[in-house]
Amino acid sequence: MSSASPQPEEAAAPAGSPSEFLKNIVGKRVKVRIGSGVDYHGLLTCLDGYMNVALEETEEWANGRKTAEYGDCFLRGNNVLYISALEEL
Amino acid sequence: MASTILPLELVDRCIGSPIWVLMKNEREFTGTLMGFDDYVNMVLKDVKEFAVTPEGITETDLGETLLNGNNIAMLVPGGKGPKA
Repeated sequence: MSSASPQPEEAAAPAGSPSEFLKNIVGKRVKVRIGSGVDYHGLLTCLDGYMNVALEETEEWANGRKTAEYGDCFLRGNNVLYISALEEL
Repeated sequence: MASTILPLELVDRCIGSPIWVLMKNEREFTGTLMGFDDYVNMVLKDVKEFAVTPEGITETDLGETLLNGNNIAMLVPGGKGPKA
């Protein structure tokens, strides 16, 4: 998932692994933190093996304050530090 | 001669247990390791994020999290984090 191309789908990915997590998290509300420490809270529309992320109804939080709102938001995966679920999966 | 263990094997043994993850920058995470992949992207649960600053250590709680392996520097199986 770094600079190399994404791995093809494995026949039996171990439960709890990143690919499983990504399947389960689409459609949920997530917090995506990027390298600078800025957070994006939104509904996860889709993502890919590079951790590129598309969010809906997004709030941008910097230094603990909401700084912006976006209807649709695309985050380039190389910037993503983590993707965290804001609700139970 | 002591039996050798490969690094990824050590991480694999840690699945289901607490782990302490240190990033390349002044940031750390603790949580239960759910899984990882070839790039050592990690899925953690019951996560605490620690930001280490000169003023002190800020702690945040996160749900189930996928941590990008790009910035991971070190893993400590069973580690309790910087405040332990």
